[in-house]
Formats: sequence, structure tokens, C-alpha cells
Amino acid sequence: MRATLALMQSRLDDSPHLLRLGRLFSETVLIEVDGAEYYLTFRDGHLAAIAEGPSRKTPWRFALRTDADALAQFWQPRPRPGFHDLFGLVKIGRGRIDGDILTLVKNLRFFKEFMALPRTAPQPEETA
Amino acid sequence: MTFEPVTGRYLTVTVQGRRQRIYVEMAGTGTPVLCLHTAGADTRQWRHILNDAELTATHRFFAFDMPWHGKSLPPEGFQTEEYLLTTDAYIETVLAVSHALGLDRPILAGCSMGGRIALQLAALHADRFAGFIAIEASDFQPAWYDIDWFHRPDAHGGEMGAALVSANISPHAPDAERWNTLWMFMQSGPGVFRGDLSFYTRDDSLIGRLARIDTTRTPVHLLVGAYDLTCTPEDARRTAAAIPGATCTVMDELGHFPMSEHPAGFRPFFADALARMKVADHV
Repeated sequence: MRATLALMQSRLDDSPHLLRLGRLFSETVLIEVDGAEYYLTFRDGHLAAIAEGPSRKTPWRFALRTDADALAQFWQPRPRPGFHDLFGLVKIGRGRIDGDILTLVKNLRFFKEFMALPRTAPQPEETA
Repeated sequence: MTFEPVTGRYLTVTVQGRRQRIYVEMAGTGTPVLCLHTAGADTRQWRHILNDAELTATHRFFAFDMPWHGKSLPPEGFQTEEYLLTTDAYIETVLAVSHALGLDRPILAGCSMGGRIALQLAALHADRFAGFIAIEASDFQPAWYDIDWFHRPDAHGGEMGAALVSANISPHAPDAERWNTLWMFMQSGPGVFRGDLSFYTRDDSLIGRLARIDTTRTPVHLLVGAYDLTCTPEDARRTAAAIPGATCTVMDELGHFPMSEHPAGFRPFFADALARMKVADHV
């Protein structure tokens, strides 16, 4: 997971539109995967630091708790229903979002697209 | 220069004693079909159906922007009002527009809140329509979010609304149409999405009315996308099961805005739904 987060950090820096969307976002977000904690500190839209837990001292604004298999499915080019969106993971019982939800919603497009950065683009479909 | 075959006109109707200037788009020849958009959006969601050469060869489609939406202005005095859509106002608006257009028992096709009101009309005013296509429609959906998020002075309700509803768009949707669909939510007027959601997430009056829908006189067909988190296939199946004779099709690769997010994927399901409405011609 640490390597994936580093990849996301790098892809974020290479995504000018995300940096523009997140330019006012300077918060710490907790990502918990199978109980392992990762504290992501964003500054002006950049992922400035990734700190592994556990920690009872690190304040965070909101948290996404899920499992590695759910994230692997979320990162598929065309995920199955429910695995296609962060709120889908919550809906099917494979994710939980805690904390200051309003801050998440105010920055929802930025955070959703950040979380989807490991996803590879799907091949174009043949359409009837 | 080649224009699209879609024509846009304005008409004025009176709803609950107030004048409403309504924008209507139309295209095609044949059986009339009145199309209703979702919450927080407008008639542009139907752009591909109104441009479909084959479907418009046998059907005349009408789609209109609800008051406060798209190119329909809010009513006079709106500046001091809180917009909250109600079932009664919604029903009266659809009936008034259908009457003003001179439609004789059109098929009613609505998506999301438009599908909800289509089922209300099937229960309460079936004599005014030939059949009902209820897309991403269910008996009742309480909100899992706070609808007040979408109308506040410190954030852009449209951008937040678009980010939220993107959860309901299928990953099979072409990227261009995904973003065209989201753009409408981004453009939605302040408080309009919230006011629509008030109707959609708080009024459960349809539940007790479903059993009175007579599908022997007016067919009811439900369409639901597998990627719809708001109205899930389970929600649509439950709703269809409560309407004797109603049918329901799950669209595996589509989401909550099928006609807009994935036009090519939606088209065969919609053509099938229109064909199912034809039995009404013989009643």
C-alpha cells in the first residue's frame, strides 16, 4: 500500500487539473486498509507527506476505511457495480467514511479523483 | 450549416396559481412521448433520444425544463423563496405542460425524480397518458446524505452535487458523455438540486399508491442501471413488484442517467420500453 500511495503522490503532482481543484485543500486524511493506518497530509493540493500508523496522536479531518481487495477492485479499469465509487464501497459495506464529511464533500471531486489515480484508463468500448 | 432536428420553444402555464415560463424541446413524428429530466438537471439529458433518427421516425418526443431548471425561469418573486419541489406541484406542472402542448394521452418517460412522478401520475392520472416508462425510479429513497450540503454560502452547490452524483454514473459510460451529464449539475441554480431532493428523499406517498396502478389500461415498464447507487436494481424490482403487471429491466452497464451518460447503451432498452407501450393502443 505504501508503494501505491507513493504512486498516487507522483501522479497527483503530474495532474495539473487536480492540483488546481485541490489548491485550497490542506488537510490530513486517514486511509485505513485492513486495519493499517496511513496518514496523508495534503498541502495546497499536493500530497506533502505519507505517514504510517498506528497513531493516536495524529489529528485527521476525515477517514476512509476499507480493505485491500475492495481497493484492488475499485482500481480496475471498469469496476463492478458498487466498487466503482468510494460511496459505492460504503453502500456495499466494503468501506466506511468518518469525520468531517462536509470537508470531504466540499472537496469531493478532488478526493475521488485522487483516490482513483492508480486506476488505469479503460480501453474504448465498441458501442452498438 | 446543418441544424439538429430538435426544436426549442417556450410556453407559459399556470401552476398552483403562478405563471411559469417553460422551455420545451421537441423532435420527431408519430406517437407522442413526454420526457422528464432528473433532479438538478434539465432537458439536455434527452438530447440523444431527440436526435435519434429511427426513434423520431415513429415518435414525437417532447422534453421540458421544470421551473427553476435549465432555460425555464423561476416564478416571479423567487428571490425571497426557498425552492422545495412538492408532489402536488410536480404533478400539476406535468399535466399543465402536456395540456398546453395539446398532447393526447402521450407516453410519459421520466428518469429518477421524473420516474417517481411518472409512477405518481400512473396512480392518480392514468387517463391522461398511454403508458409509463419509469427510469431509475422507485417507491421511495431516503437520503443517505444531507441535502443541505448542496445549498450553502461557503461552497459551490453545483460542483458538490456533480461530484456526489458521479457515484451513479457507470464506468462503461463514454468519458465525454459522463462529463456532459455532470456539467448540467454543475450549472444547476442555487438551491435547485436541494429543492428537488427534498421531494425525492422526503415524500413517501407513492408507496401506498402503487397497488392502484392499472397496467391493463396503461403499461408500466421500469428500467434501472446496475451502477445506480441511488435507485438500485433491488429498489426498482421492489417497486415493480408492488405494481400488478409492471415489468422491469436491469441495464447491466448503465447508471442513474442512462439516456445522457451512455446513449448508445441506453438506446436498445428505451426502444424496447417504447414497444411495450404499444399494447395501450388496443385498449
